[in-house]
Amino acid sequence: MFQFIVRRLLWTIPVIFVVSSMTFVLMHAVPGSPFTRERALPEAIQRNLEAKYNLDAPLWKQYVDYMWGFVRFDFGPSIAYRSRTVNDILAQQWPVTATLGAVALLFAILVGIPLGVLSAVKQNSLIDHASMVFSMLGVSIPAIALGPFLIWIFALKLKWFPVATWGTPAHVVLPALTLSTFYLARFARITRASMLQVTREEYILTARAKGVRELVVNVKHAFRNALIPVTTIAGPAFADILTGSLVVERIFGIPGIGKYYVQSIGNRDYPVIMATTLLFALLIILMNLLVDVSYALLDPRIRYD
Amino acid sequence: MKRALTCLMVVALLGGLAVAGQAKTLFWNLSTEPPSLDPSLATDTTSHQVLKAMFISLCQYDDATMAVLPDLAETWTFDAATVTWTFNLRNDVHWTDRSGAVDRGLVTAHDVEFGIKRLLDPATASEYAYVLYLIKGAEAYNTGVGSADDVGVVAVDDFTVAITLNFPAGYFPSMAALWLCAPLPQFAVEAYGDQWTEADNIVTNGPYVLGDWVHEDHLVLNKNPLYYDAASVKIDQVYCYMVNEQSTAMAMYEAGTIDVNDNPPLEDMDRIKTDPVLSKELYQAPNLCTYRYGLNAAKAPLDNILVRKALASAVDRQSLIDFVLKGNQRPAQTWTPPGIFGHVDGVALEIGYPYNPTAAKQYLADAGYPGGAGFPEVTLMFNTSQGHQKIAEFVAQGWEDTLGIKVNLTNQEWGVYLNTCATDAPQVFRMGWCADYPDANNWLNDVFHSGSGNNYEKYDNPVYDDLVERAAVSTDPAERLDLYKQAEILICETDVAFIPIYFYTSNELSKPYVVRTYAAIGGESWKNWDILDH
Repeated sequence: MFQFIVRRLLWTIPVIFVVSSMTFVLMHAVPGSPFTRERALPEAIQRNLEAKYNLDAPLWKQYVDYMWGFVRFDFGPSIAYRSRTVNDILAQQWPVTATLGAVALLFAILVGIPLGVLSAVKQNSLIDHASMVFSMLGVSIPAIALGPFLIWIFALKLKWFPVATWGTPAHVVLPALTLSTFYLARFARITRASMLQVTREEYILTARAKGVRELVVNVKHAFRNALIPVTTIAGPAFADILTGSLVVERIFGIPGIGKYYVQSIGNRDYPVIMATTLLFALLIILMNLLVDVSYALLDPRIRYD
Repeated sequence: MKRALTCLMVVALLGGLAVAGQAKTLFWNLSTEPPSLDPSLATDTTSHQVLKAMFISLCQYDDATMAVLPDLAETWTFDAATVTWTFNLRNDVHWTDRSGAVDRGLVTAHDVEFGIKRLLDPATASEYAYVLYLIKGAEAYNTGVGSADDVGVVAVDDFTVAITLNFPAGYFPSMAALWLCAPLPQFAVEAYGDQWTEADNIVTNGPYVLGDWVHEDHLVLNKNPLYYDAASVKIDQVYCYMVNEQSTAMAMYEAGTIDVNDNPPLEDMDRIKTDPVLSKELYQAPNLCTYRYGLNAAKAPLDNILVRKALASAVDRQSLIDFVLKGNQRPAQTWTPPGIFGHVDGVALEIGYPYNPTAAKQYLADAGYPGGAGFPEVTLMFNTSQGHQKIAEFVAQGWEDTLGIKVNLTNQEWGVYLNTCATDAPQVFRMGWCADYPDANNWLNDVFHSGSGNNYEKYDNPVYDDLVERAAVSTDPAERLDLYKQAEILICETDVAFIPIYFYTSNELSKPYVVRTYAAIGGESWKNWDILDH
């Protein structure tokens, strides 16, 4: 297992190299520059700006300089936010996003998975139908509609929570609920389907035939194996949710990193594009590694040695 | 000792206010993180709003009339022989840190000289440096062929600064009110470099100091007790949120979290206008921006001026405003908006092309396309945005209904769009412009002079260039007005280089306890506002 983890971590290096190279090439291939403005800038001003941000150097040199900074964890200055470095932006904005994402994920797991188990155990009951209708709605309603709806109910009408912004635990509730609903619903649906499949396996029938209590059958024998498909989707979901949601952060005025994923492309803020893309790639790689490791923990038949 | 005493005074003042319950806080939404609080680097309205609270410039604008008023400069004179403006500065303006308690010395003419020369320094890479190219030696220095010593900005003494121009720009005092001419604290800039505007480093001189700045979350401004006119500043603190989503900001306003919403959503305008409470809190004021459809006269069939006249005459601006925009905008037939020196009322003076379907059909028939027969499909392009989409759909439908022509609507992402318009503009494309300073030079010369990079229409008429160049150097207001009127007639009516669509308005909701002014040119003057007991 240890060798497997080390091998996978070493593979991260060429993957990051390929991702960074492709991102670098693509962002420079898109028309426009960080200094494209409706008020067109005179050439002399553009030259000054390009010199300031090393954009007057040949592309290969820009790439080498960037990667040299990257290995030293120096992501350079933001072009759009001129008094801030990309390191500042990551250090100040990403923890907010990660906090919100962690709360939302915890909620999605703690509610979604038990809901799926309950639906499977009580298949075709009222509870099953109700939870599946709820999860169908959760998957279908976009955050852009759910967020304002929750604000209207819980902030404007009931006045239980603040409308928006960040700072206290009360500020986390509505955005976390909005962010988690989609994942909660997905976890519930996949857990239910997986549980139903596992409960039809022969070893479950054997356990029941041996007179094992239904609770033990479901929790000890069925649930553990049913978690494997859930884990498979949980990995990318973790990476996705931890890198922020532009929509949720925008609706609730949350000072997270989410908007930088989109705005940096619109602004052609090259250092921010590179950093946010690499952050996402790294998280995806790490989460997939965790998923693979968890397979071995969940299913004794899986071995990596 | 002096600093300690000042600290004690400030603490006592704030403590006293708190005890008495008199501290007044304005809750404001900036909508977004200010990209820069460096006067040399800021280019956007959000940064400008905060800068206006923290820094003073040589002059300032009257909120209502946009007349140029004294600020750091008490008086100014112009010497035609040397083409030099001389500004006589106040001697009671202080630099202070974020606490507002530590006096960091007087603001002097040397700080003005440093501020302008830093802006022009190529190493600063200021985007707006070119705005000051009218200063002698400025362009040479900024483009790396001249030196700072040759720039025509000189501190004559501690409280007198002389600025020599390349030509006698009569509008220069209005440019001196821009943040570009603000004095800068050389000691702070040199000590902290690019980070000098961060909360722990910044040194300012305006009515407010930066109290707290949590990036992307909130920014707090506290009254500056060392401000030269602190006695007339009534609001003790401005707490700025940074909520970008319009519907959320509207909910915050209705929940009482913010006191002013300066950008209510278009979707809520009907409700706001009919709501008994909100309708009384709504204020609609002119905004110094103009929306236009640029025309590429190099591409057929728009190379035929009759086609351009037909298109211009088939835009029902008033219906667009009434049914799509709903913000009480004003139809535009000329370019420079009302409130700017040099504006001519195209509607009243019958300049340009009002909505006239009959005339539009006739122009098209005269161009060889009666009823639109044989007219090639034209492309109307805009940058991707729901608002621009609605406007484009309305205008295109009007052209199809009135002229019988086919219009192809396309949109592109902003950066790609600007690149397209600069290199290969489609037949019709959306553009807008907002005032930097209240003079038609900023509109007719800065945008449509043949040498301007903002001239996406590639409009090139030597007669027009001559008109706006003469207006720029003239110091006779009457002559300048006449030249700008001739320029508007030429570009909007004779040549139809573009189609002016509407003059913007700003819709602002303010709680009844907010006593406020409305800054037509943008950048609200919180120092003149008050919060009543509520």
